[in-house]
Amino acid sequence: MSEPDPTQPSEIEITGLSKTFGQGASAFTALADIDLSIRTGEFFTLLGPSGCGKTTLLRVIAGFEQPTTGSLKINGKEVAGQGPNARPVNTVFQSYALFPHMSVAQNIGFGLKMLGRPAAEVKETTAQMLKLVQMEAMADRKPSEISGGQQQRVALARALAPQPRVLLLDEPLSALDLKLRKEMQSELKRLQTETGITFVFVTHDQEEALTMSDRIAVMSGGRILQLGAPNDIYNSPAERFVADFIGDTNFLTVKVVEATDTIAQVRLPGGMLQSARLPEGMHPAAGDDVTVVIRPEQANLTEGGASPLSATVTHSVFFGTDTLVHVTLVDGTPFTLRRQNAGNPTPPAPGTQVGLTFAHGALQVIRE
Amino acid sequence: MASDPNQQTERHGWKWLLSTPALIVLVLAASGPLMIVIVYSFLTPGNMGGVAWEFSTDAWFRVFFRRDIFDPENVTVNQAHLAVLWRSVWLSAQTTVICAVLGFPTAWFIATRPPSQRTVWLFLITIPFWTNLLIRTFAIQEMLRNNGTINTALLWLGVINEPIPMMFTDFAVLLGMAYVFMPLMVLPLYAAMDKMDFRLVEAGYDLYASRIAVLRHVILPLVKPGFIAGSILVFIPSIGAYVTPRVLGGGQKMMLGNLIALQFGQGRNWPLGAALAMVLLIITITALVLYLRAVNRQEAKRDG
Repeated sequence: MSEPDPTQPSEIEITGLSKTFGQGASAFTALADIDLSIRTGEFFTLLGPSGCGKTTLLRVIAGFEQPTTGSLKINGKEVAGQGPNARPVNTVFQSYALFPHMSVAQNIGFGLKMLGRPAAEVKETTAQMLKLVQMEAMADRKPSEISGGQQQRVALARALAPQPRVLLLDEPLSALDLKLRKEMQSELKRLQTETGITFVFVTHDQEEALTMSDRIAVMSGGRILQLGAPNDIYNSPAERFVADFIGDTNFLTVKVVEATDTIAQVRLPGGMLQSARLPEGMHPAAGDDVTVVIRPEQANLTEGGASPLSATVTHSVFFGTDTLVHVTLVDGTPFTLRRQNAGNPTPPAPGTQVGLTFAHGALQVIRE
Repeated sequence: MASDPNQQTERHGWKWLLSTPALIVLVLAASGPLMIVIVYSFLTPGNMGGVAWEFSTDAWFRVFFRRDIFDPENVTVNQAHLAVLWRSVWLSAQTTVICAVLGFPTAWFIATRPPSQRTVWLFLITIPFWTNLLIRTFAIQEMLRNNGTINTALLWLGVINEPIPMMFTDFAVLLGMAYVFMPLMVLPLYAAMDKMDFRLVEAGYDLYASRIAVLRHVILPLVKPGFIAGSILVFIPSIGAYVTPRVLGGGQKMMLGNLIALQFGQGRNWPLGAALAMVLLIITITALVLYLRAVNRQEAKRDG
């Protein structure tokens, strides 16, 4: 587990924070009772579909929105009620929001200039930042004269130049094409490691979240549903929404045979017994119906011979490195599994009877 | 991919013909009358108004100088004309500044309303245009005159003992012109703000700028095109204004427009009127060129 050390100091401490827009009947709760602690120096991601409240939470941390209730501490100091210019955080906007009337260098130096730093220092730091994002050659260009990827780098440099304690990134990669996005993902990771600044990153792209983050908070409906390291979130989703949103998943309804605090023995359709992990605080009784999730790559397919769990192949989809095999279980439940193509040259034909086995620890019970 | 440039030229070759109607209107309505005015300014006044077809530069001479009636050799500078010229430029410049100072917060207010409300506010801004200019100007006169609304109210409140004379002053003319031309400043300013990305304002705050600093370093540079368009739209009709100075300034505080009208009317000196009209045109163009050049120089300085 890559769970960071909980004794690390927390950079951002949010308690009981909510944000409501509008009043009376038209009031809309964008954030409901958020408790969150973001640690110093970590790459923290707020992940969720549009409208889940992730951007609002980021804007509250930045100071563009004030919380309706609750407390927000940055580096131990209460900042709720303060404006964005009083907080040691800087934002990289989704649209970059570069000042169109200023050159690249002027954009980068703006924050330091506003902080009243001497001109020599502004110039020196700007030069350093231009170097950091490899934009020295473009220093005198206007934002309209550089490409989208370059604007992205300038926006990063501008936000990093005042050396904030926290850098907030609002879906900064969403406007870039795939290749550039991959490039910027590693670039962002490099910048975060080099500067040691806490990054709070907002995205709706689960793959981006999984590859870049130290920890992820999955949000929906203004709440944080699950908080954890990428592999925790992926392997042990606690709720249907989280399992569904991140990666491809099979949902199976199963019967609990017996349960301890952390593990339940469950009976799959067709009668096979398997052990499944339980989410924290869930204690099903024997005989209860629960839902388990199984990732497609955690299931194996056996051809020929008897199997405790048999299924019929409906169709296969070839993906290059692997093949997605769609099958139907004995009770008619559809199930998808992912099979590596190395060593399995031909996908099973539709109608073939196959057996399913699962990797150890593949089953995770979720809350509905 | 990119089309052959030669082919493009060919394709656009005949397209200018589509602008013929506009060109005809321009020639008939703008260039034509302008030519007539230029020609008239070099003729001699007719006896009963109109012009006599006899070349003379006397009208141009009389724009700036005057001859003693009894001693034509005694030439002095025409103080009255110069005063009117100067007042026109000065009052128009002041009107432009007043409109800019008051129009900016107005346009900002509209641009920051929810989109559904903006149309209503813009509509309210244009409402004065629905009433005849003359009537609106008389309404201002009704407020300003010695026994008008303002003085009556102040007398009744006991703030003053005798009415403050406001009519036929520069103040009255300024007030009237600022009121009349305000929408011409507000609308282009609003258009510039509407196009502005308000996230840039957030970016400014995020980068430690105070409200004043955001206004100075982010908002004002971004809405500058609006200020330029608004200033031109206010200054040009101001300097040629006729109705407002006529009603609110009277004969005392005449502006160029009134002087020109006087020459074509009672003065029965069409060439002088035409020459004055040309002077107005030259002042306007010069002011525009100087203004745009100053704006560009400022831009170049900031870029450097």
